[in-house]
Amino acid sequence: MPEDLDPVALKHRELEQIAMVALRAARLMMESGGRAQVVRNCGAMVAVGLGAETVALRGGYASMEITVTSGINTSTRMIAVGRLGVNHRLDQAIRQLASRVAKGGMTIGETSEELSRLARTTPRHPAWFVAIAVGLACTAFGRLLGLDWPAFLPVLVAGGVGQYTRHTLLAHGTNPFLVAALIAFLSATIGGFGARLAGSAMVDLAMMASILLLVPGVPATNAQADIMDGYPTLGSAQAVSVIMVMVFAATGVLFAQALLGLRLRP
Amino acid sequence: MILDLLPHLLHQAAFGAIAAVGFGVLFNFGLRALPWCAASGALTLAVRTLGQDAGWSLEAASFAAAFVTSCAVRLLHVRLGTASNAMALVGCIPMVPGSFFGQAMLGLFALTAPHLENAEPTIVLTMQYMLRVMFTVGAIGAGLAIPTHLLRTPDF
Repeated sequence: MPEDLDPVALKHRELEQIAMVALRAARLMMESGGRAQVVRNCGAMVAVGLGAETVALRGGYASMEITVTSGINTSTRMIAVGRLGVNHRLDQAIRQLASRVAKGGMTIGETSEELSRLARTTPRHPAWFVAIAVGLACTAFGRLLGLDWPAFLPVLVAGGVGQYTRHTLLAHGTNPFLVAALIAFLSATIGGFGARLAGSAMVDLAMMASILLLVPGVPATNAQADIMDGYPTLGSAQAVSVIMVMVFAATGVLFAQALLGLRLRP
Repeated sequence: MILDLLPHLLHQAAFGAIAAVGFGVLFNFGLRALPWCAASGALTLAVRTLGQDAGWSLEAASFAAAFVTSCAVRLLHVRLGTASNAMALVGCIPMVPGSFFGQAMLGLFALTAPHLENAEPTIVLTMQYMLRVMFTVGAIGAGLAIPTHLLRTPDF
């Protein structure tokens, strides 16, 4: 029997497509900052909604695998996961799509097209707006830590410049850990130098507040949530990446301290 | 007494709100969601400040703040939908002890300096920072997770 008429081969090909579409949805959700449990549920909802009978999905830090079955047919596929970030609007859009697919009535092609459209068209704030917002967040962090008013503006500028530069470097594909060190050096230098010029008595704290944009707060809490949800491997990998980012960021601050002639101290 | 606390409480809540909105923009929350981010950040920092003013440790106050915020967004689930978890999380971001983490790392670097002076205070301070980071992040995570697991709301 020719392969294009063989019902087993056809079912297998369809299962393969279901697996890949479910993996794409799960990957987008993971890259948008979703917890492992939610990512797994998303993939399962899409796969079952498209016709799979059972689904097993494993989410790793850099790749994901899925096995879908229908009757005697089974398909296992893997997909690479890109840099993990946080994109709330895309996360919400994928959740809504997964709910729609799970209700039935959407084809594999429609789901795939919708995923591509969401990835392409979900709006993002302009980089300048994000830079100002992050600068404000850094200086607000500083005030929460007890930063004095003269250092307010320097930290705002340092955080904003740091965020804009980080956005540019990451868009060019620079290694995120290297970016953490570079931005920590840049922001701490601007924040520390500016605070000193402004007459602040808290130059050390101004330097630290200037780099708080680098603290991976969502991965840190996701790591714990993933371990609590029963995904210790992914949670541990996230925790290690958080520590690595902070080691590189601290290295950047260290060089900034040396540049400004400050003594190395915690 | 509450009037004495009020300026400090308002200050912390206001800057908690600003920090949460800033990170909300970074995390690509829509403009209409940003006031909710502000409310979440303000509530979190207000509860933590009240806890610390009552003499609680940073870790205990952070746990209470995360717990209260996580419960509060669950009450608003009908209004916030599936974004409620994210809203609680972004409100808690200003409590993540990034400054302690950075200082702990700098302390570890200082301990490896070739001519180390005053080693003992540096070791103690570094360990304190490190432990505070671990316990505070743990407290925030637990405070957020417990209501999530007990008061189940749909993720989709």
